Amino acid sequence: MRAEALKGHLDGLLLAALEAGPLHGYAVKEALREITDGRIDLPTGTVYPALHRLERAGLISGSWSVVGGRRRRTYALTAAGRTALGGERDSWQEFASAVTAALRARSWPATS
Amino acid sequence: MAGHELIAAQLAILADRLPAQAMEELADGLQEAYEAQLAKLHDPDVAARAAIDEFGDADTITAAFVRESPWRRMALKLLTTGPLMGAVWGLTLLSAQVWDWPIPLAVRIAYGAVLVGAALTLLTVVRAKHAYRRTRIATLVAATALITLDTSMLAAAMSMPSSAVWPLLVAISASLIRITATLRAMPAALTR
Repeated sequence: MRAEALKGHLDGLLLAALEAGPLHGYAVKEALREITDGRIDLPTGTVYPALHRLERAGLISGSWSVVGGRRRRTYALTAAGRTALGGERDSWQEFASAVTAALRARSWPATS
Repeated sequence: MAGHELIAAQLAILADRLPAQAMEELADGLQEAYEAQLAKLHDPDVAARAAIDEFGDADTITAAFVRESPWRRMALKLLTTGPLMGAVWGLTLLSAQVWDWPIPLAVRIAYGAVLVGAALTLLTVVRAKHAYRRTRIATLVAATALITLDTSMLAAAMSMPSSAVWPLLVAISASLIRITATLRAMPAALTR
């Protein structure tokens, strides 16, 4: 799936990837790839600035740890993040229903 | 697990462009990607190239950081509110007959030049795609210039006699809001 198609939906996808539990940046990207059966596979490096923005917005919180001698930042959903994820789900359902209805093939009445 | 020279070279390119805190995360992520590819491909050179491909090239990553930069957002806000501020102050100065104020021509020209310079700097920041550090410095300089201009305009306007009270109150409020919002956004942005 092309990155442009994700415009406006990336925040919801990242929040959904973190719903099951805290993850570090690379694991967020991997989780996103797995939950979409490989259809959404973003360049990993581009996930980090989006995570930083979500953190500044208070939707996720980050914490540092040391793993294998490397400093690692892990992110977890905040209460505000869970609420925002619920909102993203609702608005996506509404949007998807509207587009599905609009694109549904119709049988036009025959003209004589 | 040891790294790979290609991974180290890629991180060196990114380190020249991005803040240190982001680099720690990127280094961890790229090493993680390399280890995952190595477990799958069993060839260090092929795995390093696959990891870099999976991670995105330096330009793509830098562009993503620039796009999400708090400095770029600050520049965008200052730039988009600029015309409104100009209109509010323009109306106020016309109502207050600014041409009668005892301000030397050189000061007026310098004020205008700094204002145009700040606007052009912000425009450059908003249009930049691959210069994260320059974005940060340029926005900081332009925001500081605008705060200085706002403060000096407030001081001048309040020290001059004027019958245009309402336009002046609106203009003073607008400038105070812009100064406060910019100063509040700066500490958070300085950490990025």
